[in-house]
Amino acid sequence: MTLTEARPAERTRPVYAPARSRPMWCAASLTVAGAAGAALLVAANRAAEWDRGTQFGLFWLGMLVFTLPAAGWAVRRSTSTRLRVAVLAGYAGFTFLPKLLRNPFGPLYHDEFAHWRQSKEILLDGRLFEQNPIVKVVGDFPGLHSTVASVSALTGISIWHAALLVLAAAHVLVVLGVTVLAEEIWQDGRIAAVSAIIYSLNSSFLFFDTQFGYESLAIALLVWTLVALHRAMRGPARRSRAGWAAVTVMLSGATIATHHLTAIALIAVMIIICLVVTVRAVRRGTPVAVPLTAWGLTLAAAALVVAWLVLVAPRTTGYLDPYLARALDQIAGMAGDGGGGGRTLFRASVAPWWEQAAAFGAQGLAAVAMAAAALRLRRGHGTEPVARSGALAMLVLGAFYFPAALLILTPSGAEGARRSWAFSYLGIALVVAPLVVALLDRPVSRLGKTTAAALLLAVGAIAMIGNTAAGMNPSYRFPGPPVFGSDTRSSIPEVRAASAWLRATQGRELRIVADRYSGLIFGSYGGQNPVTGSVTFPTYDLYLTQPGQPAPRQLIQQLSAWRFGYLIVDKRMAREVPEIQIYFETNEPVPHDGRPAFTLGQLTKFDRTPWTIKIYDSGNIAIYRFDFARAGR
Amino acid sequence: MTTFRLLTAGSAGLLLLAFGRGAPLVFPVVLLAVLLVLGELWLRALAAETMPALARLGLATAAGLVSLPFTAIALHAAGVRIRAESITAGLGVMLLVVTVVVLVRERAGKVADDPRLARTALAIAIPGVLTLVVGMAAVQMYARMPHPPEPGYTSLALNGWAGDVTGPVRIPAGGLMLPLRVSSAGSPPAVEPLRVRVGERLVSARPLRIAADTTRALEVFVPSPPPDGCLHRIEVSLGTTSTVLYGRGVGAGAGVVRGRGVGSC
Repeated sequence: MTLTEARPAERTRPVYAPARSRPMWCAASLTVAGAAGAALLVAANRAAEWDRGTQFGLFWLGMLVFTLPAAGWAVRRSTSTRLRVAVLAGYAGFTFLPKLLRNPFGPLYHDEFAHWRQSKEILLDGRLFEQNPIVKVVGDFPGLHSTVASVSALTGISIWHAALLVLAAAHVLVVLGVTVLAEEIWQDGRIAAVSAIIYSLNSSFLFFDTQFGYESLAIALLVWTLVALHRAMRGPARRSRAGWAAVTVMLSGATIATHHLTAIALIAVMIIICLVVTVRAVRRGTPVAVPLTAWGLTLAAAALVVAWLVLVAPRTTGYLDPYLARALDQIAGMAGDGGGGGRTLFRASVAPWWEQAAAFGAQGLAAVAMAAAALRLRRGHGTEPVARSGALAMLVLGAFYFPAALLILTPSGAEGARRSWAFSYLGIALVVAPLVVALLDRPVSRLGKTTAAALLLAVGAIAMIGNTAAGMNPSYRFPGPPVFGSDTRSSIPEVRAASAWLRATQGRELRIVADRYSGLIFGSYGGQNPVTGSVTFPTYDLYLTQPGQPAPRQLIQQLSAWRFGYLIVDKRMAREVPEIQIYFETNEPVPHDGRPAFTLGQLTKFDRTPWTIKIYDSGNIAIYRFDFARAGR
Repeated sequence: MTTFRLLTAGSAGLLLLAFGRGAPLVFPVVLLAVLLVLGELWLRALAAETMPALARLGLATAAGLVSLPFTAIALHAAGVRIRAESITAGLGVMLLVVTVVVLVRERAGKVADDPRLARTALAIAIPGVLTLVVGMAAVQMYARMPHPPEPGYTSLALNGWAGDVTGPVRIPAGGLMLPLRVSSAGSPPAVEPLRVRVGERLVSARPLRIAADTTRALEVFVPSPPPDGCLHRIEVSLGTTSTVLYGRGVGAGAGVVRGRGVGSC
C-alpha cells in the first residue's frame, strides 16, 4: 500500500492488507518511548551543565529509545497507511526536541540572533529589508523572519515562541515532504517512509535545520517544490501541468525569498532533473512534454532567483563569494603543500571517541549504500519515465555528497560542505531507501528478517550519531559552563547586562564597534548595530594597536564619518583563546597560535586615550564612547 | 468542504485574530486553521485536481505558510507598515482573491471532496499533540531543575548627565558631583575601595559596601583641576572596575579655557 494512497493508475506494487496494524499498541508504545526519550534528553542536558561527562551517552540513548522503534513501526509491512503517516509525524516531532531543549527560551546559535533581531525589528518598525548587523544579507531574504513576525503579531505570542511554531511546522513538513517526494518516485509507502528516516540521518537534521535560521524553513519549501515539479512533469494534460507548474513557481519563489543557498541548491537539483529527463527523452523516446515542463519550470525558477539576487539582494554574491574562493584556495594549498593548509577534523573536540569513529564510519556507510543503490538502480526500476528519471536524478544528487568531503578539510569550506549535505543527503535517502526495503524483505525466515532489521537499525544509528557529530560541535549541542569564543556559551550575564544598560541609557540602533561575541548580544538583545571588522573596514585594528601607538588615522576617519559612537571591549580576549578560533571574523589578521592574541595593555589602552570616554565597566566588558574631536590631538 | 465554507471559515478566523483579545493559546491554532484554509484554496485555484491526502495536506500547509511572507512583501511594496492589522487585511484580500479564482475555475467542474483528508489530518494532529505535550513537559521539567550558577559581576557606570557626556567636562572651581551607578548580580556582598583620581593624583578613597543583586546610584565629588586649559583625566574606580572621562578646570569667572589637549600640557 502506498503511503499517500496514490491514484490507482500509479500503483505498481502489490497492496498489503493492513490486517495487523495495531495502532493503539503503536501509539502507546511510542508515547512511552517518546516520554522516556525526552526524559533522557533532559538528563543529558543536565549532565552537560554539571560537567558530569555522561551527556553523550544519555543523549543518544534518549534519541535511540524513540527513533529505533518509530523507524520499526514506520517500515513494518503490516503498518497501515495512516498509522505510517502518524508515526512519521511523531518522528518529526520528537526529532525537534533536542534543539528545543538546547535553548527553549531564546536565541543561542549565531544565526538565531540575527533572525531574532530581524523579526523583532519588523514588529517595532514595520519594515522589511532592513540591513542586519549580525549577518549582513539576512534582511534581503525576509521569508522566515516576516513569517515569524506575522505569526507573533497576529497571535500575540512572543517572537521566540512564534519562531518555535514556524520551525516545528517546517521540520514536520520536511519529513512529510521527503515522504511524499519518495512516494512520487517509488510509489511505495514503505520505501517512502524509509526515505524520510534516512534523510533524517543527515548532519543538519537534528540541530542546524531546526535552528531559527532561514535554511530551516527554506529546506521544507525546497522539498515541496520538488514534489510540485514531479507532479507537473507527470501531469496527464496541459491544464494539469499548468496548475502544478504554478504551484512549483509559487513555492520556488517563496524559497528564494527565504534563503539564498537553498534557492541555488533548488536550481541545481532542478537542473540535474532536467538533464536526466532530457537524456532519457532522447535515448528512450519518452514523452517530450516531460523535459519541456522540467526545463520551463527550471528556467522560471532560475529567473526568479537571478532577479531576486540582482534586484533585491545584490550583496549576496559578495557575501558568498569569499567563502567559495577561500575554500578553493585552501584546497589548492592543501594539494600544493602536502595538506598543510587544511584543518584537522575533531581537533580539540570533546566528543567521545565512538562519536568520532561513527563520523568516519557514516561516510563509509553512505558510500557503500550509494554504490549498492546505484547497482540496483542500473538493473532497472519500473517503466514510468518520470519516476525512473526522478530516481536517476536523485542518484546524481546523492553523488555530490562525497566531493563535499574535500571541502570539509578546509577551514573556509567546512561550513559550506556541511550545509551542502542537507541537500545531497536527499538524493542518498531517495535512492538507498528501496535497497533497505529489499534487504528487509530478502530473508525468508522470521529470524532472518529480525536480524536484517536489527542490523539495518544499527547502521542507521551509526549514521545518525556519526553525521550529527560531524555536523555540529558539542558546544552547540549541549549546555555547559561559559566558554569564551563560543557562539553558544560566551553569552554570560555580564555581557547581557552591559547590552541592556547601553540600550536603556543610550537607546537602540547605535553604531558600535565590537568583537564577534559581544556583537551577537549587543546586536540582538541590545538592538544595536555592531560592526566586527572586515578587510575594507578593519575595525579590529583598533584593538590590535599597541599601547602608546596612535590608532590608524584612516580607520578613525571612517568611524567618525560613519558616526560610530561606541566601542565594546571584552577583556577575556587577553586571557583566553576563543573556542572557535575567531575573535572578530573568519578572515581576521589576528595570530592564532594557541595563545591569546591580545595583551591586557592593548585592550585597556582606551582607558588613557582622550578620544574614548569609558562610560561602563563590569570587569570583563567595558563600553567606551568615541570623542573623535579629540582623536587627532 | 465547499469553497464557500472555506471562505467563511477563513474569514471567521481572520476576524477572530483581528478583534479577539487575550487568548494566546487559542490564537496560534486559529492562525494555523486560517493558513490551512488559505493553502487549500491556493491548491484549488492552481492545481485543481485530486491528489493523495498527505500530499494535499503538506502542500496546503506550505502554501498557507508562504502566504504570510507574500503578504508581508506585498505590504512592503505598497509602502504599508507591517502590523497585525495590515497583515490581517492583506490575508483577507488574498483569501478573497484566491476564492474568486477558485470559483471561476470551479465553473468548469469541481474536484470531488476527498474523505481521506480528514482522517489523514487526524493522523498528523494526534502525534503532533502528543509530541507537544511531551515536549512542553520536558521543557518545564528542565526549566524547573536547579542549574549551575552563572558567573556574577559588579558593574560601574557613569549615570545621569555623566552618562551622556560626549567630550571634556567643564569643572567649576568648586568641583562637581559625578553621578554613578553601581550594580551587582550573582556575586556575594563585598566591600570595595571607591577611588577618584584626577590626572595621576588620588583625590579621594573610601570603602563602598556592595550588596548582592542590587543596583544603586551614588555620587562622588570631583574637585576642579587647575584652570590651565589642559585636558585632565578623571578616573573613578571601584575595585577592578572603573570609568574614565576628561575635564578642564574653569577658573572663577574665567569661562572655558580652550585649545590645549593632554599632549600639550
